Amino acid sequence: MNNNKLQETIRDANLNKNIGNFSYWLHRLTGIGLAIYLLMHTFVLSSAISGEKAFNTRMGSVQNPFFAFLEIFLIAGVFIHMLNGLRITLADFFGWTRFHKSIFWIITIIFLALMVVTIMLLWPKFNPVNYGMGG
Amino acid sequence: MVERTSNQSLWTWIFQRISGLFLAFFLVTHLNVHHLFHDFNATGIINFDSVRENLSSSGLWKIYYFLFVPFIVFHALNGLWGIIADYRMPGNLSIIIKIIFWIIAAILIITAFFTLKNLF
Repeated sequence: MNNNKLQETIRDANLNKNIGNFSYWLHRLTGIGLAIYLLMHTFVLSSAISGEKAFNTRMGSVQNPFFAFLEIFLIAGVFIHMLNGLRITLADFFGWTRFHKSIFWIITIIFLALMVVTIMLLWPKFNPVNYGMGG
Repeated sequence: MVERTSNQSLWTWIFQRISGLFLAFFLVTHLNVHHLFHDFNATGIINFDSVRENLSSSGLWKIYYFLFVPFIVFHALNGLWGIIADYRMPGNLSIIIKIIFWIIAAILIITAFFTLKNLF
């Protein structure tokens, strides 16, 4: 790997603390995270190949309050990557480069609103009693 | 100096954008059905039967997954490839990584196919 290039990117992030650079890193990191999640997701679901029992056992092991908590970050990652991806597409295909900072603030508001709804919808999953544990 | 170039990276760049737009729709649908609006209070945790019931609710799900799986596998691996290309790996290493990525793509699509076959 060309380390100079990597160092250059990191130095650039330090020198240019602006919206464009911030969202570039955010897009990259959420993208890597989601790609890794895709592998794990496919692995967990592939237990269906071994049949119903294997599927239910493995699916049962990833459905509890802890994983529900992690799910918040997964969905946040999806929304960040999606909204920022749309922002990039608008800038690339429609020449909206001049408005990219305004779009950033608009998608930030949309993101926060989506996350409030997400947490409200996931709420019952955070309670151990709903899994028949404890209560 | 005139360099011989191919348009491959242009096409993958455009297709990354197009698959991204498709995924904005596919992934929101997927999240809504299986993560957010899954009626946890009524049906409890997701299991084999609940997934089967969900997928058999409409014939359109087959078309949906037929498009969704290749699009997301392409978008994920091409995105990672773009990051690797940014840091200019030495020639041999980048060919090895490319081959590994193609193998991962094949494994993911084949696994997804047989998984879905059992769930439909």
